[in-house]
Amino acid sequence: MQATMKRGGKVNASLLYKIFGGVLFLYLFLGFMVVPCLNTLTSIFTTKDAAGRMDPLAVIRFFFAGNMPSFVLNSLRLAVVLVITVNVVGISIVLLTEYFDIRGAKILRLGYMTTLIYSGVALVTGYQFLYDKDGMLTTWLLQLFPNMDRQWFSGYSAVVFTMTFACTSNHALFLRNAIRGIDYNTVEAARNMGAKPFKVLFRVVMPTLLPTLFSLTVMTFITGLCAMSAPTLLGYNSINPEIVRLAGSTTADESFPQARAALLSIILALFTMILLTTLNHYERKGHYLSVSKTKARLVKQKIQNPAANVLAHIYAYVLFIIYMTPVAMIVIFSFQNWQAIKGKAMDFSGWTLINYFGAQDYSYTTSRGKTKLRPDAISGVFANEKTLGGIRLSFILSALAAALACVIVVVAVNYIFKHRNKKRAALVEGCLLFPWLLPTILICYSYRVFFNQNIWYVFGNNLYYRENVQFLIIMAYTVVKLPFALRMVKAAFYAIDDELEDAARNLGASPVVTFLRVKLPIVLPSVLAVFALNFNALFTEYDMSATFHSSYGTSYAMVIQSMCNEEGRDGMNMNASGRRCASTVFIMLVSGLILYLVYGVGARDLGERLARKEKRKKLWARITGKAGRNSEKTETA
Amino acid sequence: MIQLNDIVVRFGDFEALHKINVHVREGEFFTFLGPSGCGKTTTLRTITGFIEPASGTVMMKNEDITHVPIEKRNIGIVFQSYALFPTMTVRDNIAFGLKIKKLKKAEIEEKVRTIAKKVDLRDDQLVKAVSQLSGGQQQRVAIARALVTEPAIICMDEPLSNLDAKLRVQLRNELKKMQRDFGITTIYVTHDQEEALTLSDHIAVFNKGNIEQIGTPNEVYNFSKTEFVANFIGDINRLEEEMVSGLKLDPAEHHFIRLERVRVNRPEEGEEYRVRGVIESREYYGLYIKYYIRAAGQTVKVIEKNDGISIYEPGEQVTVGIHPSDIMSYPGGN
Repeated sequence: MQATMKRGGKVNASLLYKIFGGVLFLYLFLGFMVVPCLNTLTSIFTTKDAAGRMDPLAVIRFFFAGNMPSFVLNSLRLAVVLVITVNVVGISIVLLTEYFDIRGAKILRLGYMTTLIYSGVALVTGYQFLYDKDGMLTTWLLQLFPNMDRQWFSGYSAVVFTMTFACTSNHALFLRNAIRGIDYNTVEAARNMGAKPFKVLFRVVMPTLLPTLFSLTVMTFITGLCAMSAPTLLGYNSINPEIVRLAGSTTADESFPQARAALLSIILALFTMILLTTLNHYERKGHYLSVSKTKARLVKQKIQNPAANVLAHIYAYVLFIIYMTPVAMIVIFSFQNWQAIKGKAMDFSGWTLINYFGAQDYSYTTSRGKTKLRPDAISGVFANEKTLGGIRLSFILSALAAALACVIVVVAVNYIFKHRNKKRAALVEGCLLFPWLLPTILICYSYRVFFNQNIWYVFGNNLYYRENVQFLIIMAYTVVKLPFALRMVKAAFYAIDDELEDAARNLGASPVVTFLRVKLPIVLPSVLAVFALNFNALFTEYDMSATFHSSYGTSYAMVIQSMCNEEGRDGMNMNASGRRCASTVFIMLVSGLILYLVYGVGARDLGERLARKEKRKKLWARITGKAGRNSEKTETA
Repeated sequence: MIQLNDIVVRFGDFEALHKINVHVREGEFFTFLGPSGCGKTTTLRTITGFIEPASGTVMMKNEDITHVPIEKRNIGIVFQSYALFPTMTVRDNIAFGLKIKKLKKAEIEEKVRTIAKKVDLRDDQLVKAVSQLSGGQQQRVAIARALVTEPAIICMDEPLSNLDAKLRVQLRNELKKMQRDFGITTIYVTHDQEEALTLSDHIAVFNKGNIEQIGTPNEVYNFSKTEFVANFIGDINRLEEEMVSGLKLDPAEHHFIRLERVRVNRPEEGEEYRVRGVIESREYYGLYIKYYIRAAGQTVKVIEKNDGISIYEPGEQVTVGIHPSDIMSYPGGN
């Protein structure tokens, strides 16, 4: 209903933009989402038997005859158990830091939030370092309980243990926000009517958290189903590691591995689709939004029963220790020499910076009694080209992909909001949410198989060939992160008052200027937050790196994995574990800094920023004023 | 100055405005008044160009601007939410329109400074973020931003509705003073009849997409053209059967009298209708007292100045007098 611009030139230009945008969008959607995945789907039904005849049902028969269902069942078992354990721990950490009055809550929160900067393969290897058969903690526990199973940390239980604590990041972010959004007056009203604190928790607080909890449950279930780094490194036969293994296998080794991998990823996709459809349906039914106009801030509840209070404190700190021990150990051991790390015991005389900077030679005696010297066999993160190369590559690829995802989503969401209630907006949104329905591994696997040939629509290139794989990784990273970015950025756009846009237009701003000068600055903090979260996740991600693993696409996660494998062999890579610790510390610092900049600094509004600036100015004036007076004094003296 | 001719606005199947005709003269303060959903904001948005009418024309200074783009109309707006850009300082907010017009830096600075002074914004407030200002200051920024580009008309969409009662009254007066000082044609949208009566030169009363009456505050209040206007503006008594027959009025019509026109315990005047009544209850307002009097089979609301003379206790017998010339009558219906 808005006045259409009828100036010839403008109409043509905007029409051109529209056509260009539409064609580009379709190209990306069809070329990098639909076609590769369809190729995977059809590959199941195009397997050939030994005689070269097409046998569409061969894989299905193989599925029921072989051990493939066990991978599916294992994944399901893991997902179901994780839903329970992750929710218990996730809800606990949020209630302990946000709802109940627990001493030291701020420090506890920092500990519980370490998973935000310490995740994926770095976390799993960190846990291994502590808990595996000759891990530090296992050795220590064995001294206390000699009959203990040395191998306790392997397979299913190890995966459950690790993932229970590793997968609470979403709880720490979203459940925390939800609980902070509760109107405290409702709690007071319930208390006023005679409800005890725990009754209030279960009858008033928890119901308002249900939508968030439901979403978190679905996400956790999918995480469990699609688990990759923990099962691979700790040895558990679930779907994803099997897909990656099959993808790298050939028909010479086993029967139609590619088609089997495709079938497994399709099964995974089906589960994901069912879960997300349920979630979407549930979300559409409506939320328990607060109807209050004057929200009161939540006041922490003191646990009145002394015994319960003590128990809650013990529970909180035990969780804190579980979260913090691997992090603390990683930091400590990043400053220890390789002998100490190998012996898995802290050596107070073994402090060193060699895991970070510089290189040392390593001399050793061979079995024939000769002394050999390996130059630079001990080297720091910043001196080891391979490690540094992995970090650099991951950094660049993740940054590019995270930025690309943000740009695509911001432009798309602006379009969606402009045309809301219209079918095209829903279509664009659906396309961007599409990757959510497909497990990451299906997308990566499809990319790897489909683009490992010359494809006409990418100018006849093979994108899996040599350096091209880096482009493929960026595309995969971007596609996989689109749905999350879309949901977050869309939420941010809701915060833009329609009247702001009207005001800008009334003051003469064109739609582009309105977008750049008015709307973008408002959503920028959220966009940067999405960038940071995506970047951090991609930087250490394992699934895609493993699928695309090639000498031109050796990302940080792959470097970490290979470092562990080669450690100490033939006197090479002596301090690989130490370097791994050091690189993890470095990445934690980078991730932490980014999160601080985005959430701490970026989340401040203009008013807060100006107020802080004013404060700094005053402080500076006071310092310089004093200094000035002092110098005057000395002069007069 | 501005003229709406037979404006019809449709949203899908729903017709929001049915042939609206308004004529706003240069320099006057014109108010669109009505309950929510009556079409007053839609009319305003049609004038500013956010909505294109299905039919009818918008004329400004005898020029048809119905299809002129928003930014070319030279009409300033103050929004209900003020719509101040949260990521900009006060100065940047005010300067936004000037920067879009690509004025020179020095000129922008000069204009911002001048307008800020006129709306009583200090220099140190200009460097603040809008979130650091109070509601009243924010409103002044919104007005400054709308005025700085020197629009021919300024439109205000319920600019006081977000404020508390006291500030609302204070800013209402400031608004009127500013309008008088600037001499700018103002179109003002509100659902608050008190605001409309105190501010306006003319009021258009809207109801369900139609204009029921256009007139001065006195005309709409004392000579309400329709039953809707009579009821919407101010408090009023509807006279029931016994009084209607006592006053010898047409029983087929609906008859109303304003509260302050009902006379209690006053000496008889002209052909007044008088009836005995009993004070049922009273509401104390400070400036005046509102009495509920049971008389002639109905409850009549009356207000009396709180002057210490006309104070009645519940249960007290009083005489109620109604002058036929104070009665407003409208054709009956359902």
